[in-house]
Amino acid sequence: MLTVRRWWGRRGLQVGLIALVLLIAWGLRQNQGGVIYELYRWLSLPFQSEQDTRSAALENATLREMQGRLLELESQNQQLRQLLDYSSEHTDGIVAPVIGRSADHWWQQIILGRGRSNGVEVGDIVSGTGGLVGRVTHVTPNTSRVLLITDPTSQVGVTISRTRVMGVLRGQAGNRAVMQFFEKEPNVQAGDTIATSSISQLFPAGIPIGQVESVDLRKSPAPEAVIELSSPIGYLEWVIVSENTTPQSESIESEMAE
Amino acid sequence: MTRLFDPFFWSPSLRRSLNWGITAFSVLVCLLVMPTRIPGMELLGVGPNWMLIWVVVWSVNRTAWEGAIAGLTLGLIQDAMTAPDPTHAFSLAIVGILTARLHKQRYIQEDFISVALIVFGMAVIAETVVALQFTLGSLSNPTGTYPTLGEIWLFHQQIALCSAILSSLWAPVIYYPLKRWWNLMETVEQAQLS
Repeated sequence: MLTVRRWWGRRGLQVGLIALVLLIAWGLRQNQGGVIYELYRWLSLPFQSEQDTRSAALENATLREMQGRLLELESQNQQLRQLLDYSSEHTDGIVAPVIGRSADHWWQQIILGRGRSNGVEVGDIVSGTGGLVGRVTHVTPNTSRVLLITDPTSQVGVTISRTRVMGVLRGQAGNRAVMQFFEKEPNVQAGDTIATSSISQLFPAGIPIGQVESVDLRKSPAPEAVIELSSPIGYLEWVIVSENTTPQSESIESEMAE
Repeated sequence: MTRLFDPFFWSPSLRRSLNWGITAFSVLVCLLVMPTRIPGMELLGVGPNWMLIWVVVWSVNRTAWEGAIAGLTLGLIQDAMTAPDPTHAFSLAIVGILTARLHKQRYIQEDFISVALIVFGMAVIAETVVALQFTLGSLSNPTGTYPTLGEIWLFHQQIALCSAILSSLWAPVIYYPLKRWWNLMETVEQAQLS
């Protein structure tokens, strides 16, 4: 008993401090680093570009023309949907600045400067100029973390817009992705555009992703195509976060919360 | 007034708490630098592994136990910042232990070059450990979302090389100020004891 007490007298403070440090680290892990990312956002505030760079791009005349045409088509679509009693909720997205990248090399993530207090939720869809970028996986009051579609653990159900051939898009780190087909002889050629498919559980159908760069039909176990992503994932500055309306997204959210 | 800035006049409790404070602050700086990608600090989209540099700098003059605890702590924090599965605590704890044991051999000296070399080697070891963890996950759960074995070891080559080169180049940025501070604290402690 005396030896224990003497040992404690000598080492007690040290043991206590080590336990405290480990406890703090564990707490941060359980909290998914929320405190750190809030601090990071606060420190990076002066470096964020004030002006939304998208507005400059929108000055482009051809873009304006395309926008006009899109608006026309959207209103037509709306009218046709009304005729068919087809209802769908459409929400405008939140424009969010990209303030950081993954804190590790094995994951492909970005950190956004908008969070729960701006209406971002886990499972929301993130897109950049040109198409899909990823999905929100963690939210703090003022930041959120996005898993990019180029991450190797990210899998998205996609379809070739021209022929409706389905497949799965897998990230390849860096800036590439590969589409694996379910069929042995898919009708696909270089230049075809791809979009999310209706079998995707995480993303709503019809979001553009990119173009087929090359096709390898002899690849085993399934034919593959290399995809050139249409959004510049390596140089994102601003993205649009929109609400996920797929019914499955709610169950995934609750799974993640657990 | 000058006494306030002279460490030799600080009380032991003030010195100890300042030492802890500065050490914790250096960890915080590393944490906040991790998500940034300043131009010139990345190679193929991979930046320096700041957590690894810190663990090496800490362990180079300490016991294996202290190295392991530092690795474990920083690994848990890095889990918090990315994804907890597979954990980083394992690889960083191994780095801490190995660095502390390595120093016992007399022919490695404490200067910039040898610290940079140790960081280079440890970065390769740490990324290999993570790749092995991924491999285990991939083998035990073939239908899961883990990448395939071919992909894992392809990434491993890229990541290990880029991270090792960049981390060893940037290691002195953390090593030099921390080393100066810890040396000063040690000198003051010796002077106060005698």
